[in-house]
Amino acid sequence: MEEPKVADDQTFLGVPLPERTSVPSGDNTIWADVSPLLDSACKDLEDGELIHGDNFNLFAAMSALEIMDPKMDSGIVCTYYSVDEAIENGAAPIPISSDKSVDVRCTIDIIDHLLACEATWHKGHSLAQTVFSCIYLLRPDRTSSHTLLHSFCRVIRATCKSVISVVSDARTHEEEDLFTMTYGLPLNGDGDDKCLTMLNAVEETICRQLRACKAPSSKRRVIEDIEPLQTKLELEEGYCKALLCRLRFRKHFYHVLACLRRPQGRGLELARKHIAFCISELESALASSEFLRSIFFGACKDGTEDKTTASGCQPIGFDASLNCRLSAPTPPRAIKILSWKKAVEYFMKLLRDIDIICSCSLVPSLESVLRFVVQFQKSQPDLVARAHLQCLLVKDGKLYGQDPVFAIITKAAALPEATKNHDIQKNEFIVQLGQLVLNLLKILCTNGAWQRRKLGKIIQDWRVIYMQLELAFKKEFGDSTVSNEENICVKIFQHILLWVEEQTYWIASRFLILGFELELYSPSEYCMVYWYIYVVLIKLAEKTHLKTAVTNGTGKRKGKKKRDTLKDVGKDNRIPPAVLFLQCQIYLAEGLAMMLAALRNEGMMLQSRSPFNTEHERFIQHFDLLQKACIPDHVSYPSFNESTIYARLSNLVMYNYFKDAQRIAKEVKSSFSNDPDKLAELRRLEQVAEHNSVALNIICRLGALDSSLKISFEFNHHPYFATAVVKRS
Amino acid sequence: MESKKMEEEEEEKAEFEESEIEYVSYGGEHHLPLIMRLVDQELSEPYSIFTYRYFVYLWPQLSFLAFHRGKCVGTVVCKMGEHRNTFRGYIAMLVVIKPYRGRGIATELVARSIKVMMESGCEEVTLEAEVTNKGALALYGRLGFIRAKRLFRYYLNGVDAFRLKLLFPRPDLLPFIHKDEGQRHADYLPSEKCCGLH
Repeated sequence: MEEPKVADDQTFLGVPLPERTSVPSGDNTIWADVSPLLDSACKDLEDGELIHGDNFNLFAAMSALEIMDPKMDSGIVCTYYSVDEAIENGAAPIPISSDKSVDVRCTIDIIDHLLACEATWHKGHSLAQTVFSCIYLLRPDRTSSHTLLHSFCRVIRATCKSVISVVSDARTHEEEDLFTMTYGLPLNGDGDDKCLTMLNAVEETICRQLRACKAPSSKRRVIEDIEPLQTKLELEEGYCKALLCRLRFRKHFYHVLACLRRPQGRGLELARKHIAFCISELESALASSEFLRSIFFGACKDGTEDKTTASGCQPIGFDASLNCRLSAPTPPRAIKILSWKKAVEYFMKLLRDIDIICSCSLVPSLESVLRFVVQFQKSQPDLVARAHLQCLLVKDGKLYGQDPVFAIITKAAALPEATKNHDIQKNEFIVQLGQLVLNLLKILCTNGAWQRRKLGKIIQDWRVIYMQLELAFKKEFGDSTVSNEENICVKIFQHILLWVEEQTYWIASRFLILGFELELYSPSEYCMVYWYIYVVLIKLAEKTHLKTAVTNGTGKRKGKKKRDTLKDVGKDNRIPPAVLFLQCQIYLAEGLAMMLAALRNEGMMLQSRSPFNTEHERFIQHFDLLQKACIPDHVSYPSFNESTIYARLSNLVMYNYFKDAQRIAKEVKSSFSNDPDKLAELRRLEQVAEHNSVALNIICRLGALDSSLKISFEFNHHPYFATAVVKRS
Repeated sequence: MESKKMEEEEEEKAEFEESEIEYVSYGGEHHLPLIMRLVDQELSEPYSIFTYRYFVYLWPQLSFLAFHRGKCVGTVVCKMGEHRNTFRGYIAMLVVIKPYRGRGIATELVARSIKVMMESGCEEVTLEAEVTNKGALALYGRLGFIRAKRLFRYYLNGVDAFRLKLLFPRPDLLPFIHKDEGQRHADYLPSEKCCGLH
């Protein structure tokens, strides 16, 4: 308590002061009982008034808990006050049952519930409220007499540790920070690092038990010294099998994680083998659920869909509320653990996503890495898979932990191989550019929502680095007479500048396209969004074309073997396939923007008018970040307005953008015959073009006559190029 | 924070004329229990008494209640203040009880708050809504809000949210905006009567 400065008259603000306490007062200070003061101050407070500091803000108000309100005060719904109390009360017995058959059944339930907890954790809840709601895990030494349970607890802790480490390293978890909170949890059980040895021994024993129970009676005598897993002979085989697939899944999953962490992607091939095992063991576990259900319920019973175990039984030894009041920070709310079936589905997806990562070619080409990541993200992988990809891609400031970033940049900028060791890489802006590239790769591995926000921010950085590089370039090589050595520097700068621009427009297009995936655009905004995509893609195509042209110029002279450009020698006059591919998308985006504008202009699509603002404000809000970075230059709401205000259906039919898109998609296919992803994308683009072309004709023919025509836009052929759907209402 | 799901579940609808609904600005402590009861029963997030008071004491002019024959059927709670060099309004809670939904009460409530914010010099208004809350998203969409961001697993139930934003026209840009729109702008501004967009 603070000692208030008071006058000597033994009263403070009119309140008489009591006798001194044992701590002596100073010269100008004296102890005083503030209770009467507080009492009288309280009387002055009106109902609803609050005494607070300047820093009492919304966050403080919202963080306040009302004690004893079960909606906020999680502590009051606890059964036990401590782990020890829970154990003393028999919440987590060892053995789980003195009946060996029941003990095995309960162990399987614990294993299954742990899988459900683990999936729930991966999906964004805290470790403390999920996996570590298991009392057995909280006391690592206690389980040692129960070999089966003990080996399991160990591999679970070790797996959690490994997953946390990859997610912490990747730091993709900006919004998922609950994930790595482990304060106070016993993640480092003694001997957990040797969990596989123990797991293998247990697996070996159960294998023998399975063999023993399956052996014909004549042979049984030979192996009679093997003690069966449990006491009910008719259940022995089923239990052994149910346990084996669960044990083996854990073993292989642990291997998968270890292989992924090997440097420079050296473990990817082996990881794929373990992934295949994991998937097949999970399938076996699924198959075992009928057996497990039948033991408890007698006959096969429905209604285990939302249960956290394959058997449908409640597991023994879990109490999620324990950690609420004890160690780790947990949100003050009860959470719902995923069902066992959903957990298995989650792990199946995780394994498939990781398998995609393992299929990464490790080619040191930025373009192929970017395409790989974008393709990978299409399946919306969860945090753990994304973290692994990021750790694979960016390690020690190098691509895959082996390719220096400057080498990646020179290759992406289509510079000759030899330039990758040039001293220019020490230039501070080139160094910064390298950081931006690595940063971009990391961002592309984050969840869509976070990714878009970050991309919106780094566009500015890419714009700034372009200007800095340009300035540095002009400063050093401003005059035209340059020596041979400088000539190379000039070339490197020119190539890199062009490539930075191309990359910036690529980021901008990704930013815009992600808006569709995240459902950020409403149909009334599609027109401006497609128009913006169109203007960005035009710039992207322009830069890509220019880059290819410049490369062709150097490629021929150098005669490099590996260069893609060599293929184009002799057909210089043709537009490169990559540019045609973009051109197809440009026509689609332009076609959609114009069609939407025409429908609006001719009153065929209802435009609601906001009472508070106009389309202009919505344009500013959606494209603010691009506009601030001048991407592209000279593009603003007036230019959008000018190019769309005169759009009419009759003109669109005469000049049909969709037909052009369709034609290019057809033509360019042959150039990508060995690229299945690009081919699939071209087919989708072609479909959208075809459907929209037909829809445009129908609307034009019937629109004026038939006022009941309803036009909507759907994404049934392509994730972000919409298809017009025409219906009579 | 939250806005209540506006989807029309097939519930029994209250019989009433729109003119029977009375809109009242927050008038003091006697209104607080009404607001708390409504929010408590309709929204999932538990708010402490401090949260309610934080809003209604600092910005009583931004909170409104809707009454039907003396019964409180809807409420909106807001705040405004400086946020990264922008003066910004924020809609914290919006609730209309089920039998009264679909009749423009929520729109009227929120439009009243927004109007006060605009008159108080706010440059923009924001709020968060669950991505699954189609009714609220449509309501705010009609008022001119855009979905500025998606917030990954924003609510404790694991659902993503959208950050919705409404940007007010900048006074210095007004002449340009209305180049093509003539004098229609005057009609856009919500008056007491015309802001119900159902």
